[in-house]
Amino acid sequence: MDSITYADATGALSSMWLLVAIPAVSAAVLLLLGKRADKWGHWLGVAAVLAAFGLAVTYFFQLKGLDNRSAALNLFEFIHIGGLEVNVGLLFDPLTAVFVLLITGVGFLIHVYAVGYMSHDPGRRRFFAYFNLFVAAMLLLVLGDNYVMLYAGWEGVGLASYLLISFWYERPAAATAGKKAFLINRVGDVGFALAIFLMFATFGTTDYAKVFNGVLESEAGQTVSAGVLLALGLLLLLGACGKSGQFPLQTWLPDAMEGPTPVSALIHAATMVTAGVYMIARSATIFNANETAQTVVVSIGALTLLIGCIIGCAKDGIKRVLAYSTVSQIGYMFLAVGLGGGAYALGIIHLLAHGFFKAGLFLGAGSVMHGMKDQEDIRRYGGLWKHMKITWATFGLGWLAIIGMFPFSGFFTKDPIILSAFNREGWTGWLYGGAALLGAGLTAFYMTRLFVLTFHGKPRWEMEKHGDHHADGDEAHHAGIKQTADGRDIQHPHESPLIMTIPLIVLALGSVFAGYLMSTSVVDWLTPVLGDAPEEHGRLSHGTVTVLTLGVVVIGAAIAFLLFRNGTELVERPARTHIVRAARNNLYADRFNELVFELPGRLLTRALVWVDNRGVDGIVNGLAAAFGGGSGRLRRLQTGYVRTYALSILSGAVLVVAALLAVRLG
Amino acid sequence: MNDIQLPPIDYAALLPMLIVFGLACVGILAEAFVPRKHRFAVQATLTLAALIAGLVTVIINRDLEVTTIGGAVTIDGAGLFLQGIILVLGIVAFGLIAERRLERGGAFVANAAHAADSDGDKKQLNEAGATEIFPLTLFAIAGMMLFCVSGDLLTMFVALEVFSLPLYLMCGLARRRRLLSQESALKYFLLGAFASAFFLYGVALIYGYAGSVQLVAIKQSVLDSDKSGVLLAAGLALLAIGLLFKAAAVPFHVWTPDVYQGAPTPITALMAACVKAAAFGGLLRVFNVAFETTSWDWRPVITAVAMATMIVGSILAVTQTDIKRLLAYSSIANAGYLLVGVVSLGGAVGSSMFYLVAYGFSVLAAFGMVTLVRDADGEATHLSRWAGLGKGSPLFSAMFTIIMLGFAGIPLTSGFSSKFALFSSAWDANQSALVIVGVLSSVVLAFPYLKVVVLLWLNPPGDETPTVSVPGYLTRAVVGVGVLATIVLGVAPSWLLDMVNSAGTFLAK
Amino acid sequence: MTPEYYLVLAAVLFTIGAVGVLIRRNAIVVFMCVELMLNAANLTLVTFARINGSLDGQIMAFFVMVVAAAEVVVGLAIIMSIFRSRRSASVDDANLLKY
Repeated sequence: MDSITYADATGALSSMWLLVAIPAVSAAVLLLLGKRADKWGHWLGVAAVLAAFGLAVTYFFQLKGLDNRSAALNLFEFIHIGGLEVNVGLLFDPLTAVFVLLITGVGFLIHVYAVGYMSHDPGRRRFFAYFNLFVAAMLLLVLGDNYVMLYAGWEGVGLASYLLISFWYERPAAATAGKKAFLINRVGDVGFALAIFLMFATFGTTDYAKVFNGVLESEAGQTVSAGVLLALGLLLLLGACGKSGQFPLQTWLPDAMEGPTPVSALIHAATMVTAGVYMIARSATIFNANETAQTVVVSIGALTLLIGCIIGCAKDGIKRVLAYSTVSQIGYMFLAVGLGGGAYALGIIHLLAHGFFKAGLFLGAGSVMHGMKDQEDIRRYGGLWKHMKITWATFGLGWLAIIGMFPFSGFFTKDPIILSAFNREGWTGWLYGGAALLGAGLTAFYMTRLFVLTFHGKPRWEMEKHGDHHADGDEAHHAGIKQTADGRDIQHPHESPLIMTIPLIVLALGSVFAGYLMSTSVVDWLTPVLGDAPEEHGRLSHGTVTVLTLGVVVIGAAIAFLLFRNGTELVERPARTHIVRAARNNLYADRFNELVFELPGRLLTRALVWVDNRGVDGIVNGLAAAFGGGSGRLRRLQTGYVRTYALSILSGAVLVVAALLAVRLG
Repeated sequence: MNDIQLPPIDYAALLPMLIVFGLACVGILAEAFVPRKHRFAVQATLTLAALIAGLVTVIINRDLEVTTIGGAVTIDGAGLFLQGIILVLGIVAFGLIAERRLERGGAFVANAAHAADSDGDKKQLNEAGATEIFPLTLFAIAGMMLFCVSGDLLTMFVALEVFSLPLYLMCGLARRRRLLSQESALKYFLLGAFASAFFLYGVALIYGYAGSVQLVAIKQSVLDSDKSGVLLAAGLALLAIGLLFKAAAVPFHVWTPDVYQGAPTPITALMAACVKAAAFGGLLRVFNVAFETTSWDWRPVITAVAMATMIVGSILAVTQTDIKRLLAYSSIANAGYLLVGVVSLGGAVGSSMFYLVAYGFSVLAAFGMVTLVRDADGEATHLSRWAGLGKGSPLFSAMFTIIMLGFAGIPLTSGFSSKFALFSSAWDANQSALVIVGVLSSVVLAFPYLKVVVLLWLNPPGDETPTVSVPGYLTRAVVGVGVLATIVLGVAPSWLLDMVNSAGTFLAK
Repeated sequence: MTPEYYLVLAAVLFTIGAVGVLIRRNAIVVFMCVELMLNAANLTLVTFARINGSLDGQIMAFFVMVVAAAEVVVGLAIIMSIFRSRRSASVDDANLLKY
């Protein structure tokens, strides 16, 4: 690869700082004006994102006309110490452009949706302030032209996400989830921060162009040891895993669903969690230079996508299932960017398509919950398609997209990844390809389960009598759900207002067409950043993989449909009785079905859920408890007695003197 | 032998200190002769004038490099910059000390001699506060200025006492919660005297080793003395203890939380900002000038102290329930980060000074805002009382949030740029282990800060949430300047970094 | 008599002072122990002046005495005020600020 240069920004592009400034100013206005902005604040928030989207489109077309396909804008010098120089600079290149369009475009739709979704929440203005803050930080993240800027945005989105997860502070689960997200993200951030320092120590700079050129030169001249490059790659990867919910730092993401649904859709599905993929794609040069680092990325991607799928099969909360599907879809993206070469672009395309269909699915889930008094448990849904037709249709399109059914967008973006995985050199190709293929089948299974249990079958709730039901029905939202004698919920499902369904429809259209439209055009578009896609002549042809994948998907979906078309029980059966009953009734065919298809899966998922909760969670919670406990215990040493303090000083003095003498004489 | 040769004195170089010392003495006279009615106005004006005149003369002297009074004082680029920092932060802290609108008569007691809770003490609750706080402040600041430019260890000891003694007294002058205030004064005094005894004994041992206490002479004798290294090592260790005590490094930090909590908040602010700058100015000078050549001796020890300070400070901050104690532990952890700069020597001097400026402004604003949250008993410092303040006082909460984010090291605040600059220079000086511990501990430390942010905005207000008082112009200015500096130094720190780097380093000739 | 003995004596006095700070309760006595430490340092300074054959150490001792006198003024004032409030000069009674 030739050395990397970015052309200076000209024309309209020299105003690209507006992209970050507009939402940031809007957030500041909303926060500072306080209650005075309650009436119109949400519209300001929406307008700010719309303006950013308009700018993004303008910039996109200008960029298209440029030869170099890049525009760098140096704003001012940030830090200059010794040999280190960090500038506040922005870079608009094809990779940035697609992210900016995704963030502002999908972000705008979700903002509009949130106007309806949060309409009865007293903190709506504050919500939009944080939401705009998030958009500003996310845009800074993708627009920065060096790693320090990337880190700045990285921390900013983390902060906004923390605030938004804990938004409903009165729910203890929300507070805990916020804390957990924060802690786990900090673990990743440490990796990223150390990577920046290492970069500075190795290359004397953190600018993308200079670092990448440094890597390229060192590849030629062996000036930088492979160990340093590996360490750099792994530290960056640790950061990416934290932000993107990849193994072993995935557990915060499902818990983050305690936040309002638009937050889940925008931050924890479409944009922020994909920042890790952006970072790896941006650092393509670093990862290309080190095969071991790439292998680690691929392995983490493959492992995470399987873990996400398997746990997704076992969850019953509608948002939880979607959360684990996010984990697993990001696993696909990691798999792709780890494969390197032409697969980088595939990862990005899948990311874009995922942004559409997952945002749509989350907003659909929000719409369902909106109509079902915030009930999240899919076992307590059923037959909803009659009552919310638009949500049903849009959710259905999203479902077909995510399982990769032809001709929906997932088909065009996921298949090539599976193909590339199979075509990886050596025996590992079979391994990763197999994992990706298995993942596709499992995705089809649990997403179909989700769809069928929610919208089809017999209702597993009781229709509210007309006399009981309030005219607007909204007071009941927060009043809790009443139940009938046999434990069924009393519900009055209804379609959501237009302001919520229009974004759903737009996103559903995206789920249908985006994949096909992007599958070739975006690959070419990204070539200047990620390099050419080499013609691959792998062991499996495109056709074979397509047939295989579609077959697996259809089988997975069919099994789920057969198993769950009649609904499920309201409460999960205790394991012991389940085994006993299954053993007793195994003469019946459906019991046999259950035993063969369900039991092994169930055991596996139970085991994984256990590891997920106890293992990783345990470590994180244990760490937090250790700090808290250690802190509490150390605090007791501060007894308040002067003489204890004097003892601390004296023993410190003895230690320091002894140590210095030891060093001196030793 | 009859005629003693007086060393030449460069009065121009000493002018900033002479002005502040001189006007402090004038302040004492004013206390005696100016009628009570006018005393506050006269003293406040005098103090502000002294600080500003000092700052102006420091700026005029900015390119001076001179050793004077027989080597007792070394005026150099870094020393002048530190003096400038102390004066600027002192001017800002003056705003808090002179504030009299929040509480009738100011934050200080009228007559400290009354026993706490006695009838006389209750009566004086509404009297105007003592004005001797102003000359005391000037003495303390002048002592700190001298401390940063001392050319020998004896001057350093005298300067240490000159700035410590007024602080001991000022800690005991709080108008409310007299018992706590007196207790903090007693603790600070006893432990401070204890630590300065170590310092002095260290000076004596080093004198025995080097035959002189001048920093440059010590450096020279380290290179060519044939005396036992035991004296040098023990002396250096004891000397370091005295300095580390003032800097609040573990395990010499024990006084910090109690004193920070008990002292009147404006004085706590002065200690957190100015004393920290002075203590690290002294540490940087001693280690960079006198002991640079023995760095392989003391580096492991100071590295261990720095790590312990970062870890203990950040971990203990996690469970604090009082905002002043929380800030005290954060000040301990920040002392740890600054020690990273000390260990990294030469290259990190500039970044350390930048850190002192950034931290000083933020911490002044933080304590300034602590003085605003009040109920009938004075300041409400327990964190549970801060819950939900964001509802009623969004501007206050927003500013406090900015400061907290700054402490947490979130990018675009001075906390990030200063940590980044410091850790980069440390990494450059091959102190990667310290940087790793530093990054990890700042991760832990971010947690209590963000807990406060969540408390402010997301928690429901309690039944007895205190009010945020409308500040007077002075406090308003302090908080405004602090928050502004936190943002400006976070977004565009390069001008100050350039200034710090062009200020040069310590004169070691 | 070799001057080294004075160094040893000074070290012993310094240690006695330091231990005294730890074990005595009365604030005045604690403070006197600190003074003892300062004077041990003075003794060391004077002895080294003798060993090194320079006057610096003796002059330094004077400086230290002046500083110590100033410290006494401040220290006694603080101890007095807390004694009047609490009717006790025990350092262990001043124990409101903790944890």
